[in-house]
Amino acid sequence: MGQTAIGVLLVVICTLLEGVGQVFLKKSVLGVVHWYLWLSFGSVIMVLQAAIYTKALLFLDVGAAYAISSLNLISTTLMSRCLLGENVTRVRWVGVCLIFIGVGLVVART
Amino acid sequence: MSPAVLFKTEIVIRNNCMSVRKKFPIRLAAGLLLAIVIDTALQLVWKTAVLSLPNDGSPWLNVQAILHNPLFIFVIFLMAWQFFNWLMVLGDADLSYAQPVTSLSYVSVFFLSVLYLKEAADPIQITGIIFVVAGVWFISQTDHVTQSQEREA
Repeated sequence: MGQTAIGVLLVVICTLLEGVGQVFLKKSVLGVVHWYLWLSFGSVIMVLQAAIYTKALLFLDVGAAYAISSLNLISTTLMSRCLLGENVTRVRWVGVCLIFIGVGLVVART
Repeated sequence: MSPAVLFKTEIVIRNNCMSVRKKFPIRLAAGLLLAIVIDTALQLVWKTAVLSLPNDGSPWLNVQAILHNPLFIFVIFLMAWQFFNWLMVLGDADLSYAQPVTSLSYVSVFFLSVLYLKEAADPIQITGIIFVVAGVWFISQTDHVTQSQEREA
């Protein structure tokens, strides 16, 4: 596997981990029982994600890494809808998709 | 239906929509703004710090370099600050609302690069910035918190 492929794989793993970590952090502030467990697991996942992202930056240009990591918008919105039951309306999805396209265009020339 | 009745109906619908939408807390606005500022600084400092790491692949040397590099200490400080600010933001807003709004950091990084690093502003990038701002505008038109979660909290 080439260095670029490893970098892309690491950043994709980061986007999924960030989605899960963010859901855990959101759970911790919802006033649920054992909120500290959600906070702890969420924190550990975010630290792991940061470590993997740091490693990925050694294989990829920051522009490419930033572009791929914008996938976390989609993954986090999906997880918010499915795991947290948030009201993700069509308007919100339109907004997320516009931002995703916009970020792609911004970093494409970086 | 006469134009006058249509106009009155529109006013009533607008007033109803405005009363249904929840008031946007100033604390949330400040939290989101701070999150964008910290994220912008974090992206710029983090890349600079990573570039200063020895490129021999030894994890132990990397750990030593990280512990002795003030830039990484600053990155850790920014991350901690971002973390606590983010928890405050999540307490006031949906995750699916707050996270896309912080994408405005792409816009701030772009403008900082053009203004201070004298990087060229590409028409495609400017189009992308317009898409990001439009996307955040669409999201800002939705309620910042899901009602059922508001009741739970």
